[in-house]
Amino acid sequence: MKKNKYILLLSLFVLAYVQQAAAQEKEVVKEMVRLKYYNDSNRVQYLLIESLLRKGNNVAPQQNKAYELYLDSKDNSSLIAKVVTDEAGRAKSFLPPSLKDAWDAGAQHTFIAVEPGEEDAKTELEVAKAKISIDTTSDEGTRSITVEVQKYESGKWLPAPEVELKVGIQRLGAVLSAGEEETYTTDSSGTVTVEFKKDSLPGDEKGNIVLAAKAEDNDQFGNLLITKTVPWGEKVKPDDSFFHQRALWATKFHTPIWLLFMAYSIVIGVWATIIYLIFQIIKIKKTGQSVS
Amino acid sequence: MTTINIADTTPVPAEQIAKDLLPQKFGRRGMIWTSVLILLFLTGIIAYFRQLRQGLVVTSMRDYVSWGIYISNFVFFVAISLVGSLITAVFRLANVKWATPLTRIAEIIAVSAIVFAALIIIVDMGRPERMLNLFIYGRIQSPIMWDVIVISTYFVISLLLLYLPLLPDLRILINSKAPQWLKRLYRFQGSFWKGTAEQFKISERSITILCIAIIPVAFSIHTVTSWLFATTYRPGWDSTNFGAYFISGAFLVGSGAVVVAMYVFRKYYHLEKYITEMHFEKMGRVVVLLCLLYLYFNINEYMVPAFKMKKPEEAHLGGLFTGEFAPMFWFAIVVGMIIPIIILLFKKGRKPLPMFITGIMIVVGAWFKRYLIVTPTLLHPFLPMSDVPAAYRHYFPSWEEWAITIGSLAGALLVMTFFVRIYPIIPIQETISESHEEE
Repeated sequence: MKKNKYILLLSLFVLAYVQQAAAQEKEVVKEMVRLKYYNDSNRVQYLLIESLLRKGNNVAPQQNKAYELYLDSKDNSSLIAKVVTDEAGRAKSFLPPSLKDAWDAGAQHTFIAVEPGEEDAKTELEVAKAKISIDTTSDEGTRSITVEVQKYESGKWLPAPEVELKVGIQRLGAVLSAGEEETYTTDSSGTVTVEFKKDSLPGDEKGNIVLAAKAEDNDQFGNLLITKTVPWGEKVKPDDSFFHQRALWATKFHTPIWLLFMAYSIVIGVWATIIYLIFQIIKIKKTGQSVS
Repeated sequence: MTTINIADTTPVPAEQIAKDLLPQKFGRRGMIWTSVLILLFLTGIIAYFRQLRQGLVVTSMRDYVSWGIYISNFVFFVAISLVGSLITAVFRLANVKWATPLTRIAEIIAVSAIVFAALIIIVDMGRPERMLNLFIYGRIQSPIMWDVIVISTYFVISLLLLYLPLLPDLRILINSKAPQWLKRLYRFQGSFWKGTAEQFKISERSITILCIAIIPVAFSIHTVTSWLFATTYRPGWDSTNFGAYFISGAFLVGSGAVVVAMYVFRKYYHLEKYITEMHFEKMGRVVVLLCLLYLYFNINEYMVPAFKMKKPEEAHLGGLFTGEFAPMFWFAIVVGMIIPIIILLFKKGRKPLPMFITGIMIVVGAWFKRYLIVTPTLLHPFLPMSDVPAAYRHYFPSWEEWAITIGSLAGALLVMTFFVRIYPIIPIQETISESHEEE
């Protein structure tokens, strides 16, 4: 009995200690800064910096945090931009034309994020230059999408194998896979071919849909995106009848018939009476004039 | 009906009636009264010019309270104008003979109030030239458009109802000892009235048609005004009770105003023979009935939402019952309704002086009641602005708003004052006819 009491007391101490330690751990504030590189259609290249604060289990964005972004080295000639994070803790910057020569010179680059006035890099991101292309074929009713990824090495563009890609149709929020798989991986020739199986997808008025292939957070190449518009969807005539229906909230040219009928009946009825009464006054006047 | 001519009827009473009821020059008190009104009106004009030059920024209206004292005043004017239809139309159609001396008082209150109701809306617009856009681009779906149509219609009908019964009196005025400039005006307006049977017949029929037409239009004018609020989904306005609530309140304030006017005209122009204690006694009964009716609608309007106390209503009702607007709210209920009921339930309370005091209490209470209908709701939006400036969360009118509002009230009283100076406030011909009928 006495032994059990000691075990219970010891357990309570251990529990209290663990809780205190956990509470202390929760209070540790850790800053998390991430850099991401985006290459959109081999033309638009930009960097996204994301600054977050982790406090215990909570992660909150750091708003109005200033960063300086550099290409390869931290000197003024390599400055990409000075940015300030928004309410989501993010800031974006395009690669300026002034750094084109520096970008073209190498196959591999490092992006550096530094806090103003600090010497040490807050975070770095290494990226290998790559380009992505998309092509389509249509043969005996079978439609296919071929995506090719190339990397820049030794002054030449070479196939980039083993790159995981999403290949599909760009919808409102995400890319809908064109085939059976969620993602596809490029082969030794740097290409992947996906059979288009999403027939009858609604497109625009001409039946156009946007095909998209993207690599997301790739360790070597960052984020790559390529799109192509093809007439593989169903033609959809936009339903603009909403704006033409007669409703209380519509323009004056689309007033509901019942309201027009009611309103004008009342207005005409009352004003006809008023006009009649004005004629009666004129009649009184004429009667008076004939008497005199 | 035979031709009724003062000269043809029993000479002494008819002449005496005409003499008693003809418009009189302003005395010393009249001049002071008119001067004060002109001064207040001009102050309002100056304030309005400041508003025109600098914009609505001179007012205290901001993003929250965008309808302030101007719209409260507009609702008040529309309400008070409704009395024309009650005293003139309803009583005439119901063959209530005792109300004859009060018809013109009611009609001039209606006309002057509706004129200033229309003007105050233009004042509230900030950019008056945009009024034209309402006619060019207006949508019949909008209650604001209905309000514009119904106000202009009511104004024309009220004007006709003022003018047609005035025709026989104009002939008397032309033959009176009025100054030449006034006679020119009378001749312009009514020289064609010869008092023939045919003219009386057309006039009587026209007045009857007007009385029938004015009742639905009067109901529409205030129902539509209530819909300006009730068609929105906001605490304090989102109510199916609003049309009836507004109309009952309008009849009350209009009757209160008629009682005040009756007392003032009776005392100032010595009309004791024509506006007798009987008129006060009967009007007292009408007013107490209207007070009870309006109180009933108020209980509906406040008790039912308070019983449910939905979250959005809570802040609004709390502000009225115990919060920022509580003194004004309880003043409007107690002074504007409950005390008048208590006074008027007693026979002594329906004597001229207590009635006059009661009438003032009703009119003042009614003005504040309109302020309470408009403003507190606007201070509690469903989606409050983040980091809203403190000035937006409270509303107290600027001096320009007060000056324009008081100026408009003075303007309405000026219209009545000048009308009484030019025309008989009690219909002469009708009074003579009725005295003959009694004989």
